[in-house]
Amino acid sequence: MFHWLEERPFFFAVGVFTVVSFAGLIEILPNFAEASRPTVGTKPYSTLELAGRHVYIADSCNACHSQLIRPFKSETDRYGMYSLSGEYAYDRPFLWGSKRAGPDLHRVGAYRTTDWHENHMWEPVSVVPGSIMPAYKHMFSNQADIETAYAEAVTVNKVFNVPYNTNITMRDGSTANVKLPATYDEAKADVLAEAKIIASGMKNQDVKDAVERGEIPQIVALIAYLNSLK
Amino acid sequence: MGGNQTPLAYDYTVARLFLYATILFGIIGMTIGVFIAFQMAFPELNYLFGEYGTFSRLRPIHTNGVAFGFTVSGIFATWYYVGQRVLKVSMAESPFLMVVGKLHFAVYILTILLAVVTLFAGITTSKEYAELEWPLDLLVVVFWVLWGVSIFGLIGIRRERTLYISIWYYIATFLAVAMLFLFNNMAVPTALVSGHGDWYHSVSWYAGTNDALVQWWYGHNAVAFVFTTPIVAMIYYFLPKESGQAVYSYKLSLLSFWGLMFVYLWAGGHHLIYSTVPDWMQTMGSVFSIVLILPSWGSAINMLLTMKGEWNQLQSNPLIKFMVLGSTFYMLSTLEGPIQAIKSVNALAHFTDWIPGHVHDGTLGWVGFMIIASMYHMTPRLFKRELYSKSLMETQFWLQTIGIVLYFSSMWIAGITQGMMWRATDEFGNLSYSFIDTVVVLHPYYTVRAIGGLLYLTGIFIWAYNIYKTITDGRKLEDKELNVNRSPMSAN
Amino acid sequence: MELGQIQAYAYFFFTAFLVVSLYAYIFHLYRAEKKGTRNYEKYGNLALNDEVSTNPIETVGGAREPLKK
Ligand code: HEC
Repeated sequence: MFHWLEERPFFFAVGVFTVVSFAGLIEILPNFAEASRPTVGTKPYSTLELAGRHVYIADSCNACHSQLIRPFKSETDRYGMYSLSGEYAYDRPFLWGSKRAGPDLHRVGAYRTTDWHENHMWEPVSVVPGSIMPAYKHMFSNQADIETAYAEAVTVNKVFNVPYNTNITMRDGSTANVKLPATYDEAKADVLAEAKIIASGMKNQDVKDAVERGEIPQIVALIAYLNSLK
Repeated sequence: MGGNQTPLAYDYTVARLFLYATILFGIIGMTIGVFIAFQMAFPELNYLFGEYGTFSRLRPIHTNGVAFGFTVSGIFATWYYVGQRVLKVSMAESPFLMVVGKLHFAVYILTILLAVVTLFAGITTSKEYAELEWPLDLLVVVFWVLWGVSIFGLIGIRRERTLYISIWYYIATFLAVAMLFLFNNMAVPTALVSGHGDWYHSVSWYAGTNDALVQWWYGHNAVAFVFTTPIVAMIYYFLPKESGQAVYSYKLSLLSFWGLMFVYLWAGGHHLIYSTVPDWMQTMGSVFSIVLILPSWGSAINMLLTMKGEWNQLQSNPLIKFMVLGSTFYMLSTLEGPIQAIKSVNALAHFTDWIPGHVHDGTLGWVGFMIIASMYHMTPRLFKRELYSKSLMETQFWLQTIGIVLYFSSMWIAGITQGMMWRATDEFGNLSYSFIDTVVVLHPYYTVRAIGGLLYLTGIFIWAYNIYKTITDGRKLEDKELNVNRSPMSAN
Repeated sequence: MELGQIQAYAYFFFTAFLVVSLYAYIFHLYRAEKKGTRNYEKYGNLALNDEVSTNPIETVGGAREPLKK
């Protein structure tokens, strides 16, 4: 019987495939529905935040930063409450990272501010001497891609039922509602309004002027995203 | 086949093409690797090429370059060599397979070049080793299918009925990578759904914890089926051939094969220990990682025992040196990995530099050495020339070995130091160190690591030079000088 | 719980099946060698005698003629 298999490449391949796929079937599939349920207080990303997330991804911040606080006292002391599965319900892709050259960022929005990020992204060593994080000055002049972020929000809303335009109960009992307008032009107006709030907390005159003109520099979107991590 | 033409010979056209690609991508991928290693020690190096030169932009190009450029080319090059030989059939006998092989190469090169360009531009999905966006993923599927056609096509016209163990491993590589790659890269192109934005942008099918699970099921097994099984395929052919000793126990090689197939896929969970995936999966990942020592060491010991009674070759033949040290590094990293998968060790080691340290004793020591040795072994046969210089090979071997030792020893110390400092508390239970303290302290280790990498890279350049000189200047060989086990090499 | 149970049973039985198969395979390898029906160790030579001019250990039945020296 065994030798029969060894001589028949096709059936041999089927055998290998069965053995190899077994783990995936058992380990991954059955847990899917459960792991994707959001925790209370988790809301979808706004279009501006998504654009910021894209900046984070394009520059692979996840190569040096994790977004996963493990349940140890040393981590909760440093970074805050440990991470829960449902908090990631709208993270496509997940950004847990695999290496902490820099600190975890899962709750960085809870203890860093817009102007702190502004200074730090411009020149990390000016804020934290000895830092090995690169400066990301190009983000102050490059434009964020709002249209692609909008496209993604529309897509996850349509395909995965991510609850935009829906009332969501927050942890403190209030409700939040993340807007996703039906047309891109309306969405752009919303994004600009949100960007203006961020820009008002910044000092870089070029960035402020750009936002006044209706542009969205990458740094504004990135900070909106970092502020949303709580 | 008629009777009286020139005698049939193996046709290495495609193998030669992939050999060039292996060397090219080895140089590109590892040069970037060394450069980013220096950036960790000297951050000013981040600003040489504007936004395209930061550590974070370059790191995916390094990982993709060495994994899918260097290693995968090496796998293909050896397939187009070993496949014909152990099946005893020449590609010249099938014009169809010849076309498939060349097309395979063309699509592959195109994909990798586009990958480099898009990654420089910051177009990435962020999932490690699956960074390419969907249009490139489709191209990957195309060349992978072409490779499948080539494997099963050649098997279909073979003369030797039994498939040698290396062929088993190539088949497993083909199937498993196909499955892993497809599932992990499932994504919805956003422009197709919404009509807005960049056409190449997509969003993952899976969210959050699920995405992490699928990603590490993929990520870990990409290690299994790109850095392990095809490399085992290589050593099962090249070590016996070069040493002239048949594999120590063929039965053991078959058993380890099935063991590896079954166990490896479960171990992915060890990347997610203490994360938000269910506990039983983490435990499963941990336990199976330990079990994995058995089949891994089964193969490794089998390779070492193949040298039984012939250990003198270790001294006289640099290729044997590469391969024997390669299997030793394989044993080291397949022991180290399971240790890191033990929950309490993982609590310390995860997210630290010990992990890249572990990866590199596997990739530099095992994958790199095996590919280097395989290409050296193939070169005289592909070009009918004697290897240009044995002494250069010796120099390369020692430079690279020292490089690897510097690399992993510095990363062990760095990782453990970092892990201990993150959790250290003073007498009142407060954290002793701010994060930046744990960064500054690593500077010397990062420097040593970068120097280790530089030594290894120097070896890669020597290797490229030696092969180049072989092809252009090596002594021409008669056919009968090639019908030998030990690779012909010039002593100087 | 439905799915969880199916998962647990599937896991248990398939793993048991694979373990039994693996032991049966070991048994098969050694018995075949002892009884002289098949000596697996000779396949180790496939890597050594791999010139296209050497004769295969076992030829594929039918279609292909064995190569002559
Ligand atoms: C080479 C690795 C590296 C890369 C790449 C990197 N960082 Fe950092 N990051 C660090 C280090 C080291 C620190 C700690 C020192 C400091 O605060 O500058 C840090 C700190 C931070 C902090 C402060 C966190 C805190 O709790 O104090 C933020 C926010 C941050 N990084 C954001 C980013 C973003 C956004 C990106 C991508 C554009 C990025 N980093 C890319 C290494 C990196």
